Amino acid sequence: MAVAMEYYLVLSAAVFCIGLFGILVRSNALVFLMSVELMLNAANINLVAFSLAHGNLTGQVFALFLIGLAAAEVAVGIGIILVLNRNFDDIDVRDAVTMRW
Amino acid sequence: MVDVFTLAPAIALFPLFAFGIALFLGSKMPKGGALAGIAATGGSLVLSLWMVAEIAGGAGPYHEELYTFVGGVEGEGVTLTFGLLIDPLSALMLVIVSLISFLVHVFSLGYMNDEGETGLPRYYAGLGLFTFSMLAFVYSDNLLMAFMFFELVGLCSYLLIGFWFRERAPASAAKKAFLVTRFGDYFFLIGVVAIFATFGTTAFAGEESFVTAAEAVLGGEGEMNTFLGLGNQAWITVLGLLVLGGVIGKSAQFPLHTWLPDAMEGPTPVSALIHAATMVAAGVYLVARMYGFYALSPTALGIIALIGGFTAFVAATMALVKQELKQVLAYSTISQYGYMMLALGGGGYVAGVFHLTTHAVFKALLFLGAGSVIIAMHHNENMWDMGGLKDRMPVTYWTFLAGSLALAGIFPFAGFWSKDEVLYETLLHGLGDSPLLLVGFAFGLLAVILTAFYTIRMVLLTFHGDPRTDVAEDPEPVRWNVKFPLVVLGVLAVVAGALNLGTIKDVIGEENLFLHEWLDGATLDGELGEGGALSAHHYEELLETQAGYEAAEFSALANGAIALVLALVGVAAAWYLYRGTDPEPHMTKLGGVRRVLAHNYYQDEYQVWLATGLALPVARVANKFDQGIIDGFVDAAGTASVVAGERFRRIQTGVVTNYAALLALGLVLLLLVFGLAGGWF
Repeated sequence: MAVAMEYYLVLSAAVFCIGLFGILVRSNALVFLMSVELMLNAANINLVAFSLAHGNLTGQVFALFLIGLAAAEVAVGIGIILVLNRNFDDIDVRDAVTMRW
Repeated sequence: MVDVFTLAPAIALFPLFAFGIALFLGSKMPKGGALAGIAATGGSLVLSLWMVAEIAGGAGPYHEELYTFVGGVEGEGVTLTFGLLIDPLSALMLVIVSLISFLVHVFSLGYMNDEGETGLPRYYAGLGLFTFSMLAFVYSDNLLMAFMFFELVGLCSYLLIGFWFRERAPASAAKKAFLVTRFGDYFFLIGVVAIFATFGTTAFAGEESFVTAAEAVLGGEGEMNTFLGLGNQAWITVLGLLVLGGVIGKSAQFPLHTWLPDAMEGPTPVSALIHAATMVAAGVYLVARMYGFYALSPTALGIIALIGGFTAFVAATMALVKQELKQVLAYSTISQYGYMMLALGGGGYVAGVFHLTTHAVFKALLFLGAGSVIIAMHHNENMWDMGGLKDRMPVTYWTFLAGSLALAGIFPFAGFWSKDEVLYETLLHGLGDSPLLLVGFAFGLLAVILTAFYTIRMVLLTFHGDPRTDVAEDPEPVRWNVKFPLVVLGVLAVVAGALNLGTIKDVIGEENLFLHEWLDGATLDGELGEGGALSAHHYEELLETQAGYEAAEFSALANGAIALVLALVGVAAAWYLYRGTDPEPHMTKLGGVRRVLAHNYYQDEYQVWLATGLALPVARVANKFDQGIIDGFVDAAGTASVVAGERFRRIQTGVVTNYAALLALGLVLLLLVFGLAGGWF
């Protein structure tokens, strides 16, 4: 028996807001990465939910692409974090401010 | 045989080559590049004479477009070209210019080289460029080309007058000559543009020329653009007067004559060149060149005649009290060019050109003679320090005397015939139906007495009496290169009048007025317009039909007798006052009048006041407006963006979290805006 569409959307919005909250208030770069991951997966939930509701597989294929994208993003992100750690002996995003005005 | 006219461009190009050679190689050559200049001007002279012979032999006028530097699109816009126009008038002028320039080059060997001047390559380069500009000006076939070379002539005079630029006076005189003539040239430039706008062409000759077009419009055919709501006739007058501005500046007519006496600071051969053949002659030549245009406007002609007559008289009064030899000559030049303008304005086209010719000869002679005296006097020009040079430098004396008698208008020297013809033509048309010309004629007659007086005074003070200084007692001898030009010009000054013996035309017959026949150019048909649009005959018809000039009956002999008697009165007065071994400075008895005359009627003072007292404050206000208001706006815009940028860049904190927050906020805002606009709520 099918779950109503609203539940999926509420779940997705909740996960997205948790991710956004993490980005806005935390200073640890690793937590940043995880938060971004959460936001991406919130989008995935949406895609899959709508795909199911419409009986159209395109959304699910898109979700697969998004997972790939998220993996690539993590690879780049980890690289940046490693360099951050090497230069500042820390991964606090507030340390790397030399490029500001 | 080659067609000689294909060689015509070389007339002007020879001196241009001489300019280049003297400038770049002059220091390595003997005589500082003088020989190149002599060869080039000699070549120009030979070619010019050949042109004259060819035209006299029946060849038509020659017109060729050499180079089109702006080509109009088919039927649209204007076409700007360089071209050649060799007709009787320009051929005559080419001969005059190249002859005088040749003799001046030879004379310079004595005046500059033998005196050990430095900077000779620069000097000869200047002479070459000067001659080139003038020759090219003379054979220009359109007004724009004429204007370009007109300006180049002005530049060259600046370079040569300021030849001794390390001294204060020549540098300042050069600047003055340049600026004063430039002032007139502004009007000329506007005139050129206006003629383009009106007729779409500035060609002097041919079916398409602006002269023919203007004539056709006044004859009721064709159209032209007029501006400012003026009628055709009035607009043609305005155009003529605009171009006349340049003429007044260059030909040193009142009130722009002030540069010419100062120009005496230049080397004397340069003065000879400027006064006789190049710079000053350019103005009058321009009026003669487009005489068919001026003949359409009686107003413009009247103004030309009045300015000319007035200048002739006023300059002659100033010449009375001068003490320097060259200053007297300078004012006599202004006065004589006044006569030419009077002639042209008074309907005497042939008379004006005739006087231009004879004046070129005798004024070059007088200046070269003065140069010879100046060499002898070790560059002292004050006539009161001379005296008694008659027996010590006979060649200079006799040739100078011939030139002086020509200037004074004494029978049978060249100046008598031409000056008489100027007066005669003016009188004829004045008595006809243009009483205004009689005013100019009266000025001209008065100037005859004054001219004779100051000329003879000059001769007596310089050459007669006892030597008044040691230098005059034992003057430095001059060599062949000074004497040769003097003798050539001296002979010409005696015989040049034979070109046009107008005074005795009742005796010898009209057909023996050579210059008149020459300018009438019976051969001038064909390509350059039906019926000879450039001929003196055609101009006379135009004057009668368009300007309403009618010739009254008056005996040429009687007029000649009047002019001669007046000249003799002047001569006798000068002789009476300054004869004897030790003449007194009679002019000091004039007191206040002498002071006014010696200060040139305070012309310089009021013109300087106009510049510093009037133009300068206006320029200051304009500058303040420019700097304060126009620049102010621009600067304020710049400052505002700089300050704003300074503030705005603070949002670039470098903290990733802030950027994320801004992104999120932006998205929310965007959604809200879309929502409100799209009516989601």
